Amino acid sequence: MKNLLNFIIKYSRWFLFSIYVIISLCLLIVNRDYQQSVYLTSANVVTGSVYGAWSSVTGYFHLHSINESLQQRNAMLQNEVLNLKSRNAQLEALLGDSIPTPTVERFDYIAAGVINNNTRHPKNYFTINRGSTDGVETGMGVVDQNGVVGIVNVTGPHMARVISLLNETQHFSVKIKDTSFVGSLSWKGGDPSIGYVEEILRHARYQIGDTVVTSGYSTAFPEGIPVGVILGRVRGRDDSFFSFKVKLASDFRTINAVRVISDIYKQEIDSLATFDINKQD
Amino acid sequence: MGRHILMNVILLIVLVTAQVLICNHIMLFNVATPFIFIYLIVSLPMDLKTDWLLTWAFAAGLLVDLFSDTPGLNALACTVLAVAKRPVLYAYIPRDDHTKNVVPSLYSLGFAVYAKYLLTMSAIYCALVFTIEYFNFAAVKDIVIMSVSSALFTFLLLLATDSLIISRREKRL
Repeated sequence: MKNLLNFIIKYSRWFLFSIYVIISLCLLIVNRDYQQSVYLTSANVVTGSVYGAWSSVTGYFHLHSINESLQQRNAMLQNEVLNLKSRNAQLEALLGDSIPTPTVERFDYIAAGVINNNTRHPKNYFTINRGSTDGVETGMGVVDQNGVVGIVNVTGPHMARVISLLNETQHFSVKIKDTSFVGSLSWKGGDPSIGYVEEILRHARYQIGDTVVTSGYSTAFPEGIPVGVILGRVRGRDDSFFSFKVKLASDFRTINAVRVISDIYKQEIDSLATFDINKQD
Repeated sequence: MGRHILMNVILLIVLVTAQVLICNHIMLFNVATPFIFIYLIVSLPMDLKTDWLLTWAFAAGLLVDLFSDTPGLNALACTVLAVAKRPVLYAYIPRDDHTKNVVPSLYSLGFAVYAKYLLTMSAIYCALVFTIEYFNFAAVKDIVIMSVSSALFTFLLLLATDSLIISRREKRL
């Protein structure tokens, strides 16, 4: 026993080195999983509050350009509201008197601020200042005023970490606007404004400049949220599918104000998706 | 000894804060990212026990990792860098009674030796970080470009940091 202790003390540097390397490797491997503890992410209490304090300073930097894009978006939405209103009035006149169909607001939005953002890694994440106490849950979609930016990954009580669209491991179900050609969007590193849509059927009709929007096939995003604009076709892995290079709608270097989308049917749809037919009586 | 530990803790906090709040968001020409916090590892005195050097390095790396959502990446690279520190420095200066207690700095080593030492350390660190992060043979070109440019950027920043810190009155070699 004494010999063993002496041995450990004599070669303590090697033991310490091995321990540190093993801990690091374990952390590296654990990080590959989707689900992980909030303490190991930037959404934990300490890092969250440091980033929160810092972003209250730097949050002012891009206000001008953000304000501009919000104004544009606002004008566009106002236009759309007016169009829809007049169309609605026309249709109601056609319909005559009938019982109004009750509509349920399926999607709800939680406004949040980005307190830490990164675009230089192959797997990027950002942190937002809303957490589980505000209703944010893992798997919810996150959008900014221009389009899709990510999916909530880990939530703490007051902070949440979001998998950025700029994360090589994350895929989004998208389609070409006003068609039913569905593909999968992902980012392949490098330029934070370029993404790739793959697995679009070869008979898809498209034009350069067409908008790519979310497909609505997941509970994370409603259908039709813009993702980007087609820049051109590129060689894909598989000749039976098209692959497109896409200019992403959001500027990831300046994302600041985002909204988290909650779907009131999420639980129902998720439970259907995992429904096991063999277990039924 | 207590004062040294306190100074190191302050240096650690300042460097990690600078790294996670500012340097992590810099990507010059889309390739170069500076790693200013390794200044802690390169500037620790040579007579510090290896156990302590490893612990400081691991702690600094882990802190940066927690902030930048890369658990294990910087911790591993820092630990390896700490092991490489002694061989790197003594490759440029002879190991004798004069140099065994030296605190590596521009003042104590002179420009030529210190620059060589810093550049080697930065290169080792950047190569490690980008290799571990991308860990893919397809990305070898990216890894090389990013490592080389980041190493140069880190080297310049470390040199600037060292000349900013008031020189401790060490015996010149």
